Amino acid sequence: MGSLLGDWPSYDPHNFSQLRPADPSAQPSKLTPATYHPTHNRTLPPPNQVISTEARNILLRHFYQKSEEKLPPKRAASDHPTSEHNCKQPRAAYADGAH
Amino acid sequence: MSVWNYVVTAQKPTNVTHSCVGNFTSPQELNLIIAKCTRIEIHLLTPHGLQPMLDVPIYGRIATLELFRPHGEPQDFLFIATERYKFCVLQWDAETSELITRAMGDVSDRIGRPTDNGQIGLIDPDCRLIGLHLYDGLFKVIPFDNKGQLKEAFNIRLEELQVLDIKFLYGCLKPTIVVLYQDNKDARHAKTYEIALKDKDFVEGPLSHTNLDNGAGILIPVPMPLGGVIIIGEETIVYCSVSAFKAIPIRPSITRAYGRVDADGSRYLLGDNAGLLHLLVITHERERVTGLKIEHLGETSVASTISYLDNAVVYIGSSYGDSQLIKLNLQPDAKGSYIEVLEKYVNLGPIVDFCVVDLERQGQGQVVTCSGAYKDGSLRIVRNGIGINEQASVELQGIKGLWSLRSSTNDPYDTFLVVSFINETRVLAMNMDDELEESEIEGFCAEAQTLFCQNAIHDQLVQVTANSVRLVSSTTRELLHEWNAPSGYSVNVATANVSQVLLATGGGHLVYLEIGNGKLAEVKHVQLDYEISCLDINPSGENPNYSTLAAVGMWTDISVRIFSLPSLELLAKENLGGEIIPRSVLLCTFEGVSYLLCTLGDGHLLNFLLNLSTGELSNRKKVSLGTQPIMLRTFSSKDTTHVFAASDRPTVIYSSNKKLLYSNVNLKEVSHMCPFNSAAFPDSLAIAKEGELSIGTIDDIQKLHIRTIPLGEHARRICHQEQSRTFAICSLKNCQTSNEETEMHFVRLLDDQTFEFISTYPLDTYEYGCSIISCSFSDDNNAYYCVGTAYVLPEENEPSKGRILVFVVEDGKLQLIAEKETKGAVYSLNAFNGKLLAAINQKIQLYKWMLREDGSRELQAECGHHGHILALYVQTRGDFIVVGDLMKSISLLLYKHEEGAIEELARDYNANWMSAVEILDDDVFLGAENNYNLFTVRKNSDAATDEERGRLEVVGEYHLGEFVNRFRHGSLVMRLPDSEAGHIPTVIFGTINGVIGVVASLPHDQYVFLEKLQANLVKVIKGVGGLSHEQWRSFNNEKKTVDARNFLDGDLIESFLDLSRSRMDEIASSMAVPLEELCKRVEELTRLH
Repeated sequence: MGSLLGDWPSYDPHNFSQLRPADPSAQPSKLTPATYHPTHNRTLPPPNQVISTEARNILLRHFYQKSEEKLPPKRAASDHPTSEHNCKQPRAAYADGAH
Repeated sequence: MSVWNYVVTAQKPTNVTHSCVGNFTSPQELNLIIAKCTRIEIHLLTPHGLQPMLDVPIYGRIATLELFRPHGEPQDFLFIATERYKFCVLQWDAETSELITRAMGDVSDRIGRPTDNGQIGLIDPDCRLIGLHLYDGLFKVIPFDNKGQLKEAFNIRLEELQVLDIKFLYGCLKPTIVVLYQDNKDARHAKTYEIALKDKDFVEGPLSHTNLDNGAGILIPVPMPLGGVIIIGEETIVYCSVSAFKAIPIRPSITRAYGRVDADGSRYLLGDNAGLLHLLVITHERERVTGLKIEHLGETSVASTISYLDNAVVYIGSSYGDSQLIKLNLQPDAKGSYIEVLEKYVNLGPIVDFCVVDLERQGQGQVVTCSGAYKDGSLRIVRNGIGINEQASVELQGIKGLWSLRSSTNDPYDTFLVVSFINETRVLAMNMDDELEESEIEGFCAEAQTLFCQNAIHDQLVQVTANSVRLVSSTTRELLHEWNAPSGYSVNVATANVSQVLLATGGGHLVYLEIGNGKLAEVKHVQLDYEISCLDINPSGENPNYSTLAAVGMWTDISVRIFSLPSLELLAKENLGGEIIPRSVLLCTFEGVSYLLCTLGDGHLLNFLLNLSTGELSNRKKVSLGTQPIMLRTFSSKDTTHVFAASDRPTVIYSSNKKLLYSNVNLKEVSHMCPFNSAAFPDSLAIAKEGELSIGTIDDIQKLHIRTIPLGEHARRICHQEQSRTFAICSLKNCQTSNEETEMHFVRLLDDQTFEFISTYPLDTYEYGCSIISCSFSDDNNAYYCVGTAYVLPEENEPSKGRILVFVVEDGKLQLIAEKETKGAVYSLNAFNGKLLAAINQKIQLYKWMLREDGSRELQAECGHHGHILALYVQTRGDFIVVGDLMKSISLLLYKHEEGAIEELARDYNANWMSAVEILDDDVFLGAENNYNLFTVRKNSDAATDEERGRLEVVGEYHLGEFVNRFRHGSLVMRLPDSEAGHIPTVIFGTINGVIGVVASLPHDQYVFLEKLQANLVKVIKGVGGLSHEQWRSFNNEKKTVDARNFLDGDLIESFLDLSRSRMDEIASSMAVPLEELCKRVEELTRLH
């Protein structure tokens, strides 16, 4: 199975190069990094990055979407008889139509 | 009245719930970030291993932790979502070493049923959106705009109601999720949806797979170029993509965690619930998947998270055992394992039960926990303070001083121990047989008390007595030179280092000598206004042999002064205030910071920052260490300098993260201490205490010590019996026979010193141990272990049968004396008025201990009380019984002796699902419930109406954010009767995340003071990610959210001591309290745990 187990990814060959295994019978260690207590003002995000969920209920949104879907095609049919894809390129569409 | 409570963490959470790896602190640095429920830890990968950088408290329980790289950013951002529906995106600012909030928000919905299988949060690999599954039937999308800014979130209806996992697929033109779900026939399927961001809707995706393995639980998306998804089941593993489908059978197992090894996604590590680690390999040819292979690697702790780090090193985060750093070897070891454990990180979670005992009988509690689960179950002995492991001791009365000396400057070991008494000095020395015997240093004066002695340069020794300073050769031990005190004056105090001597005689004379080769030279002499009480010239500058500063403590004006050496010019003077004279001063340097420590005769210690070049003193702080004068001495342990403060409450002063910390030494009273490093007693201390001289080694210098006793099985209940000096536990062991897994339950007896199993009583098949106590009965002085059990039959919803077993310990064996069948599970047992009170399903039942005619004993039912859903937790006080119910909060019952009946007095009518209860005092009871809240209720015995008297009034509410399994009265620290903290009653709690905490009931005025401090701190210490402290601590369950009241957040209050001086000043002035006073009061609180 050597082929499956070899060639472990290495991002920085130095990482863990000097780490020696602990005595297996040793008591587990306790890492105690310093505790972070921010006192600066950048714990608050920029005002436009305070995110909330859109207020419109999912069901209402669905209704509105449905009604919007129904309405525009009618207008589109009268204004631009071409497909939606062409709507995005009106100049080209007109140009095409001019031929 | 115990209404005003202070909640503080003694042991932070240790249960690792999430982990991830990325370039967070810099584009070049690789970080491991781990979540421990309410905290994250940032580590750096280095050649020497994991280097801890920061421990970050989060005001929430972490539900999702993900690193991601927004477009155009050089390093990763951290996404955190909390269980209370808040999220934040954090960025590391390397310049200031601060965490900056890039975005945050609230993702809760007003309507919606929270998911049963936990919250899911995920980030699109192409960083187009964040997806959240928080409520059944809804998928929430937070889109990124093209500048990487987050936009308003919206919900999409998700048809699948029982979702097991959701992941984003790689390499899709439109963001595409794969959903693993269960239908209403319990069959499991996977399907995919494209997210149409514009239409805010799903479009059926490219993949769908029905009728998967019944145990399918985890999805692993595979990066490009392979793409597709792996579905991990209990019996099969499946890979599917648009173009390929592969499946392999596996040995039945429940996979709990996976970690990707290769960036291209061809190998994954899988960890199962038995702690077995497998490697899953996708074999492929020219970007086409040809098959799956699985290889057993070995055993680790049961993993809750797996992160491949670098160079074959993997982090295994565990909820049930110690987390580990492991290395994957190319060749198996003798046992066939490819795994080598490099390091273990302690995890106490889940603490299912614990007891508080005083094993060393020193008046200090130790907590013994039932920790871990399954094969990783263990007992942990948690002790505050630093232990001295005595190696030798001799009776010696009246020791006035203690010094160790080497026989030459280059000798690595100490040879002599100089012990000073009121009229004489005795010298002990190590002989050839490494024994300590009485010896002699000819050049020393043995007929007088030694005030100070010291090894000096040029292989010399210095001894200072009241009359003279003697310079002695350490090789010939003969007197080389002597400096005599002027006639009519005697030396009162003296100090020295290897090249300098400073002494004070009566009349305020300060004399400075320098040590030459065979010669003492008086260099300077000044007369001060008052008598000198203590002095020090410990070199804390660059030259370890010579000090340019001297510290001097004064009588009369109660000051400490800094003089320059050799000129003895006054550089600084600090008035200490009060009338208590300084008794010991010490110049020392910790972690590159220089301090002056000064102790007073009443057990207080002052510390100042010392400017080595100007002698200026600043940042004065005061703490109370004991009540008696303190002697300060430095010593080294593991190449670090610490200070030993000898007094009635010996303390080690040390520095961690450039902050001075004080840790109790577990000895009662120490008058003198000196380091003593000999071949027979390496790295030891000599200690003079209560008529005894002892030599011992010292524990690692840290506040909380944890000792692990691995059991290999899951201990669920524990109790200690003083009389037999044993512990008894109820435990269960999972046994794997060929293809069936069975559980065996035991009552086990352990020696309370060795923690070895000394006797075992196996329970019946299906019989669980539910409760255990040690108690005695009326008119029977024997100590018994009583065990309550339940027969948990697979076909029953609730146990309908159980037993109460009464054991006595005889010759180290558990002897069953009596047993009583019950009509349900015995969830709780209590000793009660010489009888036994049991909680059995819905009922509280009292049993008498009856003597039969044949002299044997039996339990006989006396009376009971019905009316609970399940009476799970019971505490008693006098005739009062407090019951914590499964669903019906807390009720108060009373046992009426004359009528032989138990009646309900009052109850809390809230529907709290309880996890623990405790009685704080006659009127106030403490409860913990399953939404991680604490609350207190009060008996209303003075109320006017019966209706009001029958109601337990809720007086305190607080969101702890931890699931408490047990409260116990007791303390982790030695309680001094005359210290202020000694009068504060405390309750210890243990939680699933391995937290040990303390609830301290404060006097009202102290509570009000600290409440004000907390209010001020909230303004200064900001919540990481912009999360609000007020919201975090608000009591919250399905029914209500209300602000915390009558509980204080001790963790926040004690973080005051971590603030910069200017912030501290700011708070002190806004509270109109002197800073020194404020520091002292907070420092006192830290000594509660």
